[in-house]
Amino acid sequence: MQRLPLSYIRPGMKTFEEVVDAQGRVLCGKGIELTEPMIQKFQELGVSYITVEGTPVKLPWEKTLEEELELLEKRFSGVKDEFLLHVKEVLKEVLMMKHTSGAKNG
Amino acid sequence: MADPSEKRKEVKKKIRKLEGLPTLPPIIQKLNALIEDERSSLTQIADLIEKDQVITTKVLRLANSAFYGFPRKVSTVQQAIMLLGINVLKILIMTSSIFEIISKEDVGLWEHSLGVAACSKILAEMKEVSDPQEIATAGLLHDLAKVVQMMAFKEDYEEVKRKVEAGVAPLQAELEVFGIDHAEMGAFLMQQWNLPERLIEMVYSHHDFSRSKKFRKESALLHLADLLVQARGYGERTYVGLPPFDPKALTILKVDPLEIKEIYLKLEPKLYELKFFTEELKREIT
Repeated sequence: MQRLPLSYIRPGMKTFEEVVDAQGRVLCGKGIELTEPMIQKFQELGVSYITVEGTPVKLPWEKTLEEELELLEKRFSGVKDEFLLHVKEVLKEVLMMKHTSGAKNG
Repeated sequence: MADPSEKRKEVKKKIRKLEGLPTLPPIIQKLNALIEDERSSLTQIADLIEKDQVITTKVLRLANSAFYGFPRKVSTVQQAIMLLGINVLKILIMTSSIFEIISKEDVGLWEHSLGVAACSKILAEMKEVSDPQEIATAGLLHDLAKVVQMMAFKEDYEEVKRKVEAGVAPLQAELEVFGIDHAEMGAFLMQQWNLPERLIEMVYSHHDFSRSKKFRKESALLHLADLLVQARGYGERTYVGLPPFDPKALTILKVDPLEIKEIYLKLEPKLYELKFFTEELKREIT
């Protein structure tokens, strides 16, 4: 799934999660195909982000897990400090969580 | 090659005179007067700021960005004052032109600054440091001297870049060329602008924690936030590596290494949102 700002949402995308407004009120359930009037309504009600099924938008800045891990190694090359190595391990864990399904933010 | 200690004097002199730097918005003087006058109301202050459409747009955009993390859209200056406090708002107004330059001239630096702002806020809330919005703003400001270098010392700035590309560590390169590093430069500029002492010390010691004397917890916070964001690689920089880190900061801030995961899990969604913010800005510029 992919969490996108409203400006990236297009008709035909299906909700992966409920759509909520700024006050936390549920506006729309999950698994619903979005239409133009619905998107307009969401805009009026101040919805910021919607999580949709699949990954309909190719975000040019997103990297693969492999790329992220490679860059991580570069940043930490030559590092021997215990705490910093711990930070590196945590980052590996967090990056892997992010890239497997179930990660909330794409 | 120029003598770094002579250069250092020149740099401080130029900063003291605010030469070659973006001028403070004219509104600041009137704003200061209004703030100092106990009789003035929030509405009056908001009205003054709103007269300047350009500043208002810039400030509201910053107020709405993910690192402050307000659940609802901030649409008026009055709201921004209520949510951020007048002091933070004043800082945003004063530094709005600096941020504009950073976002246009060095997107990597801009993203890095946003990331550090977000991480600083998270740490401030986790560790119950007062006024997390102000702390976040310090995160945003911490590398502002790089703009000073870019704008007022262009040739020297290029010299530093050349050295870094040749493998010299960035702070070392700065000292060789300027006789002063960007942390000290930034703090010095903030002093000229009369920004809060706490923020000045945070910026001054963000690479060298031993420099902090009075605001140890806050300085430790920024020192850690900078490291964590650089380690995450958010905001591409020429130098691929980590800044020096003093583990004493962990003790002062009372951060257990086991908390690092929790910090990153809170930070990731913010970094994700901030990317959209940066892309939007890029589109507006081109």
